[in-house]
Amino acid sequence: MGDQPIWITFIVTFVIMIVLLTSMAYTTWYERKVLARFQDRIGPTRTGPAGLLQPLADAVKLMGKEDLIPEAADRKVFYFAPMITFITAILAAAVIPWGGTIELFGQSVNLYPTDLNVGALFILATGSIGVYGIILGGWSSGNRYSLLGAIRSAAQVISYELILGFSLVGIFIITGTMSLKEIMFRQHETISFGPFEIANWFVLSQPLAFVLFVIAAVAETNRAPFDLPEAESELVAGFMTEYSAMRFALYFLGEYISMIIMSLFASTLFLGGTSGPGADTYWPLGIMWLVLKAIAFLFFYIWLRATLPRFRFDQLMGLAWKVLLPLAILNIALTAFFRLIGNGQVF
Amino acid sequence: MSWELVFFAVFSAAMLLTGIGVVALENPVHSAISLVGCFINVAALFVMLGAEFLGVLQIIIYTGAVLVLVLFTIMLVDPNKLPAFYVGKPMQRNVSAIVGAILMVELGVAIVTRVALEQIGPHTNAMVDQMGGNVQAIGQVMLSEYALAFEVASLVLTVGVVGAVVVGLPNRLGALDTVTMSLGHSRGAEDAIAAGPKFESPMNIPAERYVAPVGERKVVMTKDPDKYTHPGETSK
Repeated sequence: MGDQPIWITFIVTFVIMIVLLTSMAYTTWYERKVLARFQDRIGPTRTGPAGLLQPLADAVKLMGKEDLIPEAADRKVFYFAPMITFITAILAAAVIPWGGTIELFGQSVNLYPTDLNVGALFILATGSIGVYGIILGGWSSGNRYSLLGAIRSAAQVISYELILGFSLVGIFIITGTMSLKEIMFRQHETISFGPFEIANWFVLSQPLAFVLFVIAAVAETNRAPFDLPEAESELVAGFMTEYSAMRFALYFLGEYISMIIMSLFASTLFLGGTSGPGADTYWPLGIMWLVLKAIAFLFFYIWLRATLPRFRFDQLMGLAWKVLLPLAILNIALTAFFRLIGNGQVF
Repeated sequence: MSWELVFFAVFSAAMLLTGIGVVALENPVHSAISLVGCFINVAALFVMLGAEFLGVLQIIIYTGAVLVLVLFTIMLVDPNKLPAFYVGKPMQRNVSAIVGAILMVELGVAIVTRVALEQIGPHTNAMVDQMGGNVQAIGQVMLSEYALAFEVASLVLTVGVVGAVVVGLPNRLGALDTVTMSLGHSRGAEDAIAAGPKFESPMNIPAERYVAPVGERKVVMTKDPDKYTHPGETSK
């Protein structure tokens, strides 16, 4: 945890929480706007300038709605299932690094809540608990569509979590660490490529893993074209059919937080995190680069949703087990092989 | 009282309570949720002991994969139709008692030798730090000292996977099998709607292929949905 007093950690965590919750609200605005442009509309405009107050209006509306509980529901489980999704989604932010240690008002401040030495696995672990929110929510609703959504979600998340994990192994082999901070700072270094000095971003040395990671991340966050658990056209919103008001909002927001976290996670792992021009000298620039990269990812998410139709369920599972998993294993084998060549242990 | 002790007390109390919940709760899904809570608290204890890697693996593997599959299965079962657990199965009961006792003795021996007799294993905190951390230490030990056990475990898992495929493959049992699986939730629409077309399919089925539903819904297991045949037909 570095050498900072605990109250500074609390302040950093607090600031990150506030920023995350605000940006989550504005991700919904961003998605509406971008999606509207894709569909030749203009999106929200009435609430505030350029519809910027739309998330606020949504929040007020959702809080004012009646919280319905179906008669067939398992009440206790129905109550706390959305919270699991929401809390675990936020929890993952604890290991995302926003920079190194800086001097601020005479105090040294770590720009990360915690530097867990298994940080990358921690994010996978929060994701694997988060799926319980979906499964239990679907089961406890006492509704066939919800149960089917929950079952699909269980199968989908288990399959794609495997690929998500496997796609990271290449990076672990290269860096020899699972700490996100160390992985990020390894990418601040430059490597010479002929006459050029280029950044050592892992998207360059691990392109296959990057593609696998992005596909698995979309599936893991239940976003289109892998939004089978929701599938409004066949399962009438799947596991969240019976949810209303704030409990529905918790699922909704949990999904958006997962999107943001996955974008930050992918930027940190493959696109150098805070690395960029001037980032090593001025730390706010580093944060800006990370945010810009994450926004690019979020745009990609929305782009996918606007462009691709939903997969059929068997196609989804076939893709995971017959295509992505062998590719992920191939990537691990290749990375290990080149690592051995680099160490001079082969030939 | 240090914070560490407070957290230890909280986590272990939660672990014991949820552990009791697993066997005491009547609804199997509630038991499974209790087990999730138990595993998360065990992971928390691992992290407190400085074994973050084990803690995270506990969550990813046991909570995130194994228990999801268990929940997956029991979600489809109507808890009201479950056979009584203990009735008429003294064998099951005795075997579980014996296995439980053996595990308990094992745990006791480990605690006595490690703590009471102060025969602490070679992997002290200093040793682990010297090896480069938790992950590195576990990796080295697992792939050198326990390499054989590691390989045997992977073999056992492979056998398990092959077995599951063989058992799950409907075509193996001759013709295409019709398997009945209740998709109904325990207190789902079936009970909520007092009367009405319970078993009618919303899909349009040609009259000559229509088979009047009897009792529970039939689910046809095929390898490929494109080869779906209606329950009335036989496979080609």
